[in-house]
Amino acid sequence: MGLADAPRGKAVKPRGSAAKPPPDGSRPLPGWRRYWPMYTAVSPFFILFAVFGVFPVGFSVYLSFMSWDGIGETRSIGWDNYAYLVTDSDFWQSIGNTLIIWILSTVPMVFLALVIAYALHTAVRFKAFYRVAYFVPNITSIVAMTLVLGSVFSDSSGLLNSALRAINSGGVGWLSDPWAMKVSVAAITIWRWVGYNAIICLAGLQAISSDVFEAAKVDGANNRQTFFRITLPMLRPVILFVAVTSTIGGLQLFTEPQVLFPVDDNGNVGGPGGEATTIVLYLYQQAFVFNRFGYGAAVGWALFLLIAVFSVINWRLIGGRDEDAIGTGKRKGKSRAR
Amino acid sequence: MRAETAARSRTIVGHAVLLLGVLITIFPFYWMFVMASNTTGDIFAYPPELVPGPHLWENMNKVFDGIDFWGSMGITVVAATSVTFLVLLFDSLAAFAFAKYDFPGRRVLFWIVLATFMIPMQLALVPQFVTLAWLGWVGSLKALIIPGAANAFGIFWMRQYAQGAIADELIQASRVDGAGFFRQWWTVGLPVLRPGLAFLGIFTFFHIWNDYLWPLIVMTDPGKVTLQVAVQQLNGVYTTDQSMVIAGALMSVIPLIGVFLIGSRHFIANLAAGAMKF
Amino acid sequence: MAVSRRRLLALGAGAAAGGFGPTGCGSQRTLGDPDEITLWTWDRSVSDELVARAETKGIPGAEGFRLSRTNIGGHFNTKVRTALAGKSLVPDIIGINSDVATYFPNQDVFVDLNDFGAAELKSRYLDWKWNECVTPEGRMIAFPMDTGPTGLFYRTDLLKEAGITTDPKELAARAPDWDGFIALGKELRKSQERAVICPNIHHVWSIRLGQLAGKFMTQDGRYIGDRDELREAFELAYRIGRDGLSAGAPEGSTDLYGVVTSGRQPVGIGAVWWGLAFPESAAPKTEGKWRVTDPPGGAGNVGGSFLAITKYSKNPEAAYKFITWLQSPENQVKAFTEMSLFPSSPRSFTRPEMREPRPFYGGQRTIEVFGPSARQVRTVYKSPYDRVMDPVFAAELANVESGKNVDTAWRDAQDTIERELTREGAI
Repeated sequence: MGLADAPRGKAVKPRGSAAKPPPDGSRPLPGWRRYWPMYTAVSPFFILFAVFGVFPVGFSVYLSFMSWDGIGETRSIGWDNYAYLVTDSDFWQSIGNTLIIWILSTVPMVFLALVIAYALHTAVRFKAFYRVAYFVPNITSIVAMTLVLGSVFSDSSGLLNSALRAINSGGVGWLSDPWAMKVSVAAITIWRWVGYNAIICLAGLQAISSDVFEAAKVDGANNRQTFFRITLPMLRPVILFVAVTSTIGGLQLFTEPQVLFPVDDNGNVGGPGGEATTIVLYLYQQAFVFNRFGYGAAVGWALFLLIAVFSVINWRLIGGRDEDAIGTGKRKGKSRAR
Repeated sequence: MRAETAARSRTIVGHAVLLLGVLITIFPFYWMFVMASNTTGDIFAYPPELVPGPHLWENMNKVFDGIDFWGSMGITVVAATSVTFLVLLFDSLAAFAFAKYDFPGRRVLFWIVLATFMIPMQLALVPQFVTLAWLGWVGSLKALIIPGAANAFGIFWMRQYAQGAIADELIQASRVDGAGFFRQWWTVGLPVLRPGLAFLGIFTFFHIWNDYLWPLIVMTDPGKVTLQVAVQQLNGVYTTDQSMVIAGALMSVIPLIGVFLIGSRHFIANLAAGAMKF
Repeated sequence: MAVSRRRLLALGAGAAAGGFGPTGCGSQRTLGDPDEITLWTWDRSVSDELVARAETKGIPGAEGFRLSRTNIGGHFNTKVRTALAGKSLVPDIIGINSDVATYFPNQDVFVDLNDFGAAELKSRYLDWKWNECVTPEGRMIAFPMDTGPTGLFYRTDLLKEAGITTDPKELAARAPDWDGFIALGKELRKSQERAVICPNIHHVWSIRLGQLAGKFMTQDGRYIGDRDELREAFELAYRIGRDGLSAGAPEGSTDLYGVVTSGRQPVGIGAVWWGLAFPESAAPKTEGKWRVTDPPGGAGNVGGSFLAITKYSKNPEAAYKFITWLQSPENQVKAFTEMSLFPSSPRSFTRPEMREPRPFYGGQRTIEVFGPSARQVRTVYKSPYDRVMDPVFAAELANVESGKNVDTAWRDAQDTIERELTREGAI
């Protein structure tokens, strides 16, 4: 849910206990009586997690070895779902689509976010206005904005193709050409997330202490050297954070392609030729359009595997990072509790 | 002198970049308004209409005829408000305990909270639906509210916040006064955590308001769907009348932007601070 | 915004309580109030006037119950099946399209209409239609609604130009079979260079399929979708495309309407509803120029639908009263005059309203074509797996239309079907 992140490989430091024996000299209470309030306080999350997290995940292992339409009887079929999965061209196509859309959206987005963050960092005035303006796309509903941008991308009479016509170049099949479709989905994702990530990068920039730049100036470094030798390396953790969240978000892309290309009468998704079908959209189609619940569970595990692989890669990247590259993580006290 | 002009030109370039970016960012909102206030014919004509027209009211009325707009709005508001309230309650309790108290198993439990971040919810989409079917919650508001009533992100974030914000001395003082854990949470924790709660609250509210995949699957009663699903259905049924569909989209977005503009400063500052904690 | 903690607490608790709504903490298996019989249909599937009457004045024969209907847009089957899988808030009655057999494996979620004495009504309806409602195990899980007997629609003015007879009997004699129909198409080309006889070749396939005595599987579950008869139908579709007699408009595209509106398709074989959906709504200016006659290749049925009562129904008795009232012979006539839904009860065919001259068809009594056509349709066994096989043939025919070798396409279709049926556990 929400902001995914990659936890750092670092244990939580036990804090100085606030539950020391009271200073009035009374003896400490026995364990359960002393601790039940804390267990009660953390229990809602764990109860919900057990019912809606652990149990379904466990159940989906069982389910993935079944053939079931969700209504009638389950039928045990062994590894058939997985066997079908690895030979299903639609599944592989959806993985390919997801990765292509992910690259098409993440690379330009990180670049643009950095540019905007840098511009915001140097700008003195209107910072508050800019920040709000850049952030608005991220909080508006994806469905609504996908409908709007879908109209803009419309093949025959959308605004974009009308504009292209006006400058005497032919229109592009934004919603029908295999590549252009992916570009359209990626464009919506970029529009939605670039401001958000720019603000994250800006926080990273502001966290770099000005002493470093002063020192660089004294050493006679020019702007370009400063940017590539100091700013970028110091921003690495933030860029990684952006890349990691974009990866996890990108692999779970669903709403944009689902709204842009509604399910047709035969249950096809992802537009002409299924060229914009993402993995989650494929899962949705198999499970909730074709009612293959067992197969849907198997696709879920494939998705999990994919995300796990990417997470490990991310972890390796982050594992090599300098813990104290950013100073803010260490801020203590009530500085922000204004 | 030269350094000054260089700095000034850099500022000008910076502002130019920012303004161009803002224009691109804001344009879809402008275009949404243009489409919603013209007829479909005007929009898809060549050359298309580029300024707002007089048909907004007419298109909005068509939306009211096409979907139960206020009904879905009500469901969305109730779901988003309830989840936000429960998340603030449960997450702040858990975060308070994790941040300020020692109890056996604390580290293990907290690691479980962290680990749940890594599991994409979509993985268990099918079995979660089946679980709800067994509970008999499919199609009811409970399906939207209960499963998300406490979340790992909120607990993690609030704990980070609480560690820095709540001084141990305050809790000690409260203990001396004979307050138990829950009273300490109420009198010491919550007042200090208020800014963090505001951020988490807005974040959760937006998240639930904009959620799409889950309500699409689980709200099976077509007379009881969230705003996102209703607007998407509008597109499914009246594809040919884009102006009306976009008017529906506009109506579903206005309350959100309003809430955001009121609470934006706080929200953005906290978001950035939160990201820096990872 | 200084909201006190207590006030916020009260506010949130109130909202959360509101979330649990009037249903309390229990779950509600059926949709609607205790006195409401809920019905899910898609647009234009039942008579709106009759439904409105049952909604306002109550259900005739079921005292104290009124109807509440919801029109489901988008993917109807998906919504129904998801609700059935969700096992709560399921409507009393659902509409089912012509793929009623899809629900046979889940026959337990519907009530057996024989328990309510449906057998007494059997004589009122067409045999082949009635048989489609009954599962191989003998349970009657659905009730007949409309049917889709096919005819040959043609535009008299364009045929005249080509020097072809416009008399229904003579025209039917000229094109008694598909080869005659192809010859007719070539004849039309003499006056109209780009004339076509079908919107796409898949359309030919589905019409031809409706004329045959069997589909893809036998009742005891053997696959027969690779037999010669079907191979020939596949070839037929290909030949029509090869000879340039297909417009090549993709299924579900607006081009389907365009070819009719522009007059590029002067003849078309289609079910009753095709006339309404295409010539009558896409080319209203051509009123009076269309006629209908017997289709080449014999009578067939395409489409038509059913009503079923779910086992979750709060009062199956009242639901049964409603569907039998809505689909009584006289009300089927009403549905025809109001929505062009062709009756499944032969008793309706003789009614004066059905025999009215239709202005759009130049005052022709179209019932004289569709009535006999409907009576001649054969009982065809449709299998629960048709829904996975139909799209495979559709996809391969689309490939053929865009240039794929017909033999390769046929083989690929067979391979894909084998794979899909294995997956479904059917073979």
